[in-house]
Amino acid sequence: MSEPKKGLKRLIGFMNERLPMQKFNFENIVLKKEVPMHRMSWAYYLGGLTLFFFLIQVVTGVFLLFYYQPTVSDAHASIEYITKYVNNGSTIRNLHTWASSCMIFCLVIHALTTFAMKAFAPPRELIWLGGALMLVLGFAFGFTGYLLPWHQIAVNATKVALQSLEESGHYLPGAISGVPHYIKEIIQGGPDVGQATLSRFFALHVVILPLLCFGVLGIHLLSVQLHGMSQGVDDLPKKSEKFFPFFILKDLIVWGVAFLGLFILAICVPFESFYAFPFFQAYNALGATPEGIKPEWYFYFAYYPLEIFPFWFVMLGMTIMGALLFLTPWVFKKTSRRVLTILALIMTAYLIAMTFFGQAIYEIVKGVKS
Amino acid sequence: MRYLFSLVVLTLFLSCPAFAHPEFLQYFKKESGRAINCAMCHVNPEGPEGEKPGQIGSLDATGKKMLELARKAKPGDNVVNPILNPFGNEILNTIGHDKLVELEKDPGKISTLLSKTSDLDHDGIPDYQELLDGTDPLNPYDGLPWKLFFINFTRNWFQIMLLSLATISGIYGLYFTILWFSARTKDEFK
Repeated sequence: MSEPKKGLKRLIGFMNERLPMQKFNFENIVLKKEVPMHRMSWAYYLGGLTLFFFLIQVVTGVFLLFYYQPTVSDAHASIEYITKYVNNGSTIRNLHTWASSCMIFCLVIHALTTFAMKAFAPPRELIWLGGALMLVLGFAFGFTGYLLPWHQIAVNATKVALQSLEESGHYLPGAISGVPHYIKEIIQGGPDVGQATLSRFFALHVVILPLLCFGVLGIHLLSVQLHGMSQGVDDLPKKSEKFFPFFILKDLIVWGVAFLGLFILAICVPFESFYAFPFFQAYNALGATPEGIKPEWYFYFAYYPLEIFPFWFVMLGMTIMGALLFLTPWVFKKTSRRVLTILALIMTAYLIAMTFFGQAIYEIVKGVKS
Repeated sequence: MRYLFSLVVLTLFLSCPAFAHPEFLQYFKKESGRAINCAMCHVNPEGPEGEKPGQIGSLDATGKKMLELARKAKPGDNVVNPILNPFGNEILNTIGHDKLVELEKDPGKISTLLSKTSDLDHDGIPDYQELLDGTDPLNPYDGLPWKLFFINFTRNWFQIMLLSLATISGIYGLYFTILWFSARTKDEFK
């Protein structure tokens, strides 16, 4: 009987260390909190910037909800209606789309800099795990939101992604080989991508994921406030500044500049203009699939390897990377910041290569020209 | 005999090759490097042949009459071809049907014959340019991103200036509110 008690005590001790609620007071969080100043200080603004873009999406998403119809017959028409006839509808929609891309961009850079700065070291494991979950949720937001306009690229890209999920079952051992097919059916809700899928994605995008996100974000932000900013560099920083008011003020300026930049982009460049127009025609189940269907740019890191390498190889790589993402605080516990920075730079180079030059790499490797 | 003749004429009419010009599609797709489809000029994205809305098979008697007239269109005419969208009709009315058929051998020339000022979607990019760019001339939200950026920036410069002023004022106000609050809290916790 003594073992479970010991285990429970250890768990409570672990959680107390990670969430020291005794520090949750005005003096500690507002008056005494300091932010180290060093060559990587700019990275401290990335979390706040990600939160800012997330909030923009919440607000614009609520506006879009007033007009959006989550049915296969009306979804595309309602999006057209928002864009063409609702006052400032195109700006709101553009803000939502641009903010989603900006959020994922900041989220990824935030994760990479946090990794390089070893900001996951004990007792910050929960902060890292919360961030890793937010990264997954961010991609889930992107994936579910992509289907909602029910245009050609949305439906076809979703079909390809769900097909890939099902195919992964072929590489799993007997008993669990059917699991991906089962998951696909749950997500899809029917034999093909249709109304049931749209309803599920809509529910996920506007209710389930935001609720999860608020929960995880709450724990993430609370942990950051309780532990303060991580040191970030090997040598003790010689300078620091007060979180309140000086860091907050700088954060405010960054948010203001980000808002201005986002707004200018939203009124000047429709996000869809980066893609060929046939992709945005209403989905026609009986029509031909347009050429060049691709997922959103932030999925290129997985999409192009899937096009180039054998499926099993990419799935294995992605599984290892996924596991490493969540086990980082324990796997890299004793790794130096120098090595972590090199690993983060390699990862950055990979992401840049696949996002910007993925198509060119694919054409060179496969010897094809689009 | 009259009915038989009508039946033969109708059969011939329906079995005629559709008024489709895949040469143009292939040419502008290659030139622009963008995936385009028949919706550039046609009502139906799958082109003119078939029974679906906007395709020849779906036309009623009036529609077929309009189609017949469109096949005789001369430059400067004002015909409406029911299987073409407003941009397709603009091309037809600008250069005429015969010239259009002739241009199948030299598809690139079509953009030189179109009006340099016509802009059906009012996005600031002329229709002939959208044809060359492979973007939708009927959708104001479709165009090459950098072109749309400069055009919309110029069009909305006043709103952008107001927004910049509002952002700067907002930051300025909040900045000093936070500083004031900070000073007060310091006094309180002394």
